[in-house]
Amino acid sequence: MKIVVIGGGAAGLGVAGAAKGQDPSVQTVVYTEYEDVAYSPCGIPFVHGKEIESFEKLFLATKEQYVAQGIDVHYETTVESIDTRSRTIKVSGEGEVRYDKLVLATGWNYDTPDIPGAELGGIYHVKNIRAAMEWDRYLDSVESAVVVESGPIAMEMVSALQHRGIKVTLIDPGPWPMAEVIDPDIVEPVRKDWADSGVTLKFGERVTAFRGKDTLTHVSTTFGDVEAQLAVIGSHKVANSALAKAAGIKLGSTGGIAVDPHMRSSDPNVFAAGDCAEIPHGVSNVPLQGLSGSHAYAQGKTAGINAAGGSRVHNPVYVPWGMLAGQWMIGGVSFGETLATALGLPFVTGVADGITRARYYPGVKPIKVKLLADPSSRRLIGAQMVGGEGIKERADFLGIVARTGVTVDTLATMENVYSPAIGALNEPIAMAAQALVAKL
Amino acid sequence: MSFFRWLRSNSEHALLSDAQRRMAARYGANPPARPHGLKDRWWRQVFAPVYRFLPWGLRRSTMQAMPGSHRMGWPKPEYLPPGDH
Repeated sequence: MKIVVIGGGAAGLGVAGAAKGQDPSVQTVVYTEYEDVAYSPCGIPFVHGKEIESFEKLFLATKEQYVAQGIDVHYETTVESIDTRSRTIKVSGEGEVRYDKLVLATGWNYDTPDIPGAELGGIYHVKNIRAAMEWDRYLDSVESAVVVESGPIAMEMVSALQHRGIKVTLIDPGPWPMAEVIDPDIVEPVRKDWADSGVTLKFGERVTAFRGKDTLTHVSTTFGDVEAQLAVIGSHKVANSALAKAAGIKLGSTGGIAVDPHMRSSDPNVFAAGDCAEIPHGVSNVPLQGLSGSHAYAQGKTAGINAAGGSRVHNPVYVPWGMLAGQWMIGGVSFGETLATALGLPFVTGVADGITRARYYPGVKPIKVKLLADPSSRRLIGAQMVGGEGIKERADFLGIVARTGVTVDTLATMENVYSPAIGALNEPIAMAAQALVAKL
Repeated sequence: MSFFRWLRSNSEHALLSDAQRRMAARYGANPPARPHGLKDRWWRQVFAPVYRFLPWGLRRSTMQAMPGSHRMGWPKPEYLPPGDH
C-alpha cells in the first residue's frame, strides 16, 4: 500500500510515523514545499527572544532519521493538483504520482489583512524556520517594530522583541489582547505588564498602510504614523485547503476540510489532519479549525493509523490551551465568558484568586481561576486562568473534566496535593468551583 | 468563499463584538470599536440582538444544520449514554 502525505508539519509527520507503526510494510511518501519538516514553529519567538539558543533545537528529528524510519520525504516539492478519480496527484518536477490513500496535512496560512504596502520588505509572517533564521539576523538592525493583531504567536513575539531591546507597538482592532478567546479580567495582568514594561498598546485601532521605499520605514494607522522597521503580522490562522477544494473535497463552515472521526474526508481514500481540517467542539458541537500543534499531531496519528488499515476514532476537542505572555501564563479550556456569551450558551461562573505554592515558600505566585458551568447539568463547560505558574497542568486536567462530564459539585470537593514547594493548602480550582456552586 | 463560511465569519464577528461590549461593561475594560458602515451595523445592531432573542434550542439547531465535520458521525460526549442528545 502507498500512502501519500501532503505537508510536513506536525500532522504530516504524525501521519507518516503512525502509518509505519500500524503497518511497517506501507510505503509512505511525504511532500513538502519547504526545506524542512517537523519543527516547532511555535518555538520561533523564543529563539528570537534568546530564551532558546538556536533554531536547530526546534527540529524534532534529523533528515537522516526519517530515512532510517523508511519515510520518504520530498523536500521543496509542490503538489499542484489532486485527481481523486484516478487516485493520482500532480507533482511539480515529478509528474503524476499514484496513491492508495492520500492524507492532506497542508496546514494553515495567515489571514493577511488587505493593507497597502504589504509587499514591502520588513513585514514578517512568523511561520517558516528558514525564513526565521534570516529574520533573526534582520532583528539586530531593528530599533522599533509594530505587531499587527494579537494572535498567539504575535503575543509571544511582543515579549521576544522586547527581550531584543526593540521598541514595540501592538496595534489590534480588538478591545483587548486576544479578545476573541480571552476574557478581559483574565488578560488584564498581561496588558498591565506590557504597558508597565514600555510596550505601546493600541487596541481598537487598525493599520491602514505600510510605508517605505523598498523596506518598511513606518506604518500608517487610524491613530497616526508609527516609525517601524519591522511589522509582525499576527492575524488569524486560516485553513490551507485550496488543493482539497479544487479536487472537489468538501469543506466546512470554517473553510477547513470536513472530516469524520477517522479523519476521513468526503472522499473515502482521502484523509485530512491538522490545521487544514476542522474538528467538532465537544461542548457546542460547532466545528473548529486552527488549534495547537499537539492537536495537529494527534489528528495526524489518527489519520495515519486509519489510512494504513487500522481503526482509531478521534474525539471531539475540548481545547485545553496555555501560553506565556510577558511575565504571566494564561490558559484555559473550551469557553471563556466572552465566547460563551457570543454563542448564547447558558452558563454560571465561579472565580477564585489563589496561590501556586505555600504562602511562605520562596517563589510563590498568584493564580486566578475562572470556571464556567452549565446551570442545568452542573457540568464544566469552560475555564480561563492567569498566573505565575501551573497553568498548563490545570488546563490539561480541566480538559478531561469537561470531556468526562465531571460536575462542579465534584470539583468543589476535590482532593489536592499539598506540599509547600509545589502546591498550596487550597487548590484554586476547588475554590472557584465552591464559588460557582454557591451561585447555583 | 462559500455561503456558509461567509455566514459563519460575519455572524461570529458580530456576536463576538456584541459579547465583548457586554464583557467590557462588566469588567470596566476597553469596549470594541463602534460598528462602521451599513454592513457592519446590520450584523451588529440587527443580527446580534435577534440571535440573542432566539431560544437556545433554536440557535443550537441552526448551528447544527450548517455543513461540516460535526455532521459526519462524531461520537457524542463520553458522559452521555448512547442515543442521548
